Amino acid sequence: MIRLQDVHKSFKGNPAIQNLTLQVEKGEILGLLGANGAGKSTTINMLLGFLSPDSGSVSIKQLDATQRASEVRQLVGYIPENVNLYSYLTGVENLDYFCRLAGLRYAKKELEDVLTTCGLQSEAHHQKVANYSKGMRQKVGIAIAYAKKAEVYLLDEPASGLDPLASNELSDLLKKLASEGATILMASHDIFRVREVCHRIGILKKGTLIKEIRSDAISASELEQLYLEFMKN
Amino acid sequence: MWQIIKNEGYFLSRSRTLLGTSLAFLLMLFLTLFLGHQQTQQQTQAYQTAKDHLRAQWEGIKEMNPHGAAHYGTYVFKPANLLGSLDEGVNTVTGNVLRVEGHVQNEIVHSEASQMQSISKFGKLKSSLLLQFIVPLLLIFLAFHTVSSEKQSGRLKLLVLQGAKPFSLIFAKTLAIWSYGLLLLMAVLLVYTLFNFQNLDAEVLTRSVLFFLSYALYYFILTGLTVFFSSRWQNATVALTSMLGIWIVWTIFLPNILMSSVEKWHPLPSRNEFKTAMKEDRSKGLDGHNPTDERKKELEEATLKEYEVDSLSQLPINFDGLLMQADEEYGNQVWDKHFGQLRTVLTQQKQSLQLGGSINPFIALQNASRGFAASDNLHHQEFLVQVEQFRRVFIKALNDKHAYGGSKTGDWGWKADNAFFKSIPDFKYQPITLASVFSHYVLDLAILMLWSILTVVLLILGARKMQIV
Repeated sequence: MIRLQDVHKSFKGNPAIQNLTLQVEKGEILGLLGANGAGKSTTINMLLGFLSPDSGSVSIKQLDATQRASEVRQLVGYIPENVNLYSYLTGVENLDYFCRLAGLRYAKKELEDVLTTCGLQSEAHHQKVANYSKGMRQKVGIAIAYAKKAEVYLLDEPASGLDPLASNELSDLLKKLASEGATILMASHDIFRVREVCHRIGILKKGTLIKEIRSDAISASELEQLYLEFMKN
Repeated sequence: MWQIIKNEGYFLSRSRTLLGTSLAFLLMLFLTLFLGHQQTQQQTQAYQTAKDHLRAQWEGIKEMNPHGAAHYGTYVFKPANLLGSLDEGVNTVTGNVLRVEGHVQNEIVHSEASQMQSISKFGKLKSSLLLQFIVPLLLIFLAFHTVSSEKQSGRLKLLVLQGAKPFSLIFAKTLAIWSYGLLLLMAVLLVYTLFNFQNLDAEVLTRSVLFFLSYALYYFILTGLTVFFSSRWQNATVALTSMLGIWIVWTIFLPNILMSSVEKWHPLPSRNEFKTAMKEDRSKGLDGHNPTDERKKELEEATLKEYEVDSLSQLPINFDGLLMQADEEYGNQVWDKHFGQLRTVLTQQKQSLQLGGSINPFIALQNASRGFAASDNLHHQEFLVQVEQFRRVFIKALNDKHAYGGSKTGDWGWKADNAFFKSIPDFKYQPITLASVFSHYVLDLAILMLWSILTVVLLILGARKMQIV
């Protein structure tokens, strides 16, 4: 579903991604671990078609992400670290607006159901987003991707700044989406969350994928040890 | 695109700050329009009262020597245009009352500027001040962060991912904020219509439409450029600073620089030079009160020959009337020459200034605004010309009566009766036709339209070069 083959990308001569090859299959969650500047966001931006690789290929569902960016974007739901919604709109109105931009029209009840599915409590549906916590905004962000019936979810530090309860709810939701057939790539530096949610984990360092492992083959403490070792060397 | 416009509409309608600002603006607008309307009404009423009084005095003359009546003269008043309450233009400085009498073309007096005790450098609060300065500032403040905030918050990425095209995004935002400006304009039109409902006619309505079209185009240019800067710069402060810089150059520096340049390219004589030149030219001609004048001799000889008599006392007419009319006609030629030159220079200045609109749409707006509000120099000059035409007919009637009414040369005590004075028509101003006004200001409208097209082109380029990440 998601494929990156021998991808290189540099900014003003500084390499950001080097020889990156990875793939994520349907129903699978891949976690990309890495420090700040490791190339996680650059990878996601290339998958979204906002950046083009210097060499190599980036595709989603066999569609070249650079050449056929608009088609690719229709398949993708993107959840950034901070989902910045329109503070003067309610949760339902925000969801409605983003859906309409994507050419989707839902009845009010359907929008409320999507928000509920994504974990937003019903009493918050018609409150202005200005009063939302970060976790609530993230849930609306996920609802936007969910309502789009995205086949692929790209998450860039989605749990950053969330309280443990909200973070846990997010994990449950991602697992549920994957079980329904969604392909998910999640960039994060939260080792424990990645270990808990993802099927496979890749460790990125200075734009290079230095390790790829199955999460059921490693414990959280082993993963932490491994990650710290790679980062130190 | 409609969804984005609708969303911007939500933002505008749900912003308490904007609501407060809009209400304050509407209050000020209501106040300025009310005061402008009151002033126009009072001025119209005062002039009508004075006009009626003067006419009654004129028609009340039982017997008087026609030349005495020419010195007695009358006053004409510049009629207040209905749209003058929206843009007072040059009216505040040009004056409104003109004394009409024999021998001399007087200057217009009684300007508002000369009457007021100015306590502020910026003068009083006027509708034109709100429409030309306050609303554009409001639009700039609304638009400067409209795209950059989407970038800074990372929402732009999400919007594009959801299918919003960059051009649709920035054009829709431009249209939404422009619509707010149009709403304010419509509020002006509505309040203005309410105040002047009884006096509206097709001419005033058409002028209003053209007046508001000029403002609508200018607001689009300002809004579009601000959104363009907002899309170009990552930082909203840079976008605001850039646009405020342009606004200051357009509204403060360039108009002054252009006006100074235009005055240098097409210099007008000073009032003193103008009057001295007129006086010199006139002194070369006949003077009804100067018996030694050579031209008088020529006229005298021609008149004696025509009537086949040897002396003025044998003439069946009053030669003094002929002499005074000949002097008037010479004076008229002098006036035509100098005033014509003045008008030519003023026309050249206006044309040069109009071309200045190509680098500064604010100038095109000011020209069109004053033109369609009938408060520009064109309308003022037309009034002066019509008054002069009236003066010529008026004085000729008096001189002809003096010459052919039955008196003899030197008979300054002869008097015309009341019926004669009643028969002289009063001054009636004929407004410039709308077609003529339009032909003078179509260039300004065209310049504003060209700027609008240029703005759209910039928005297209801005969208193409907009960095999403």
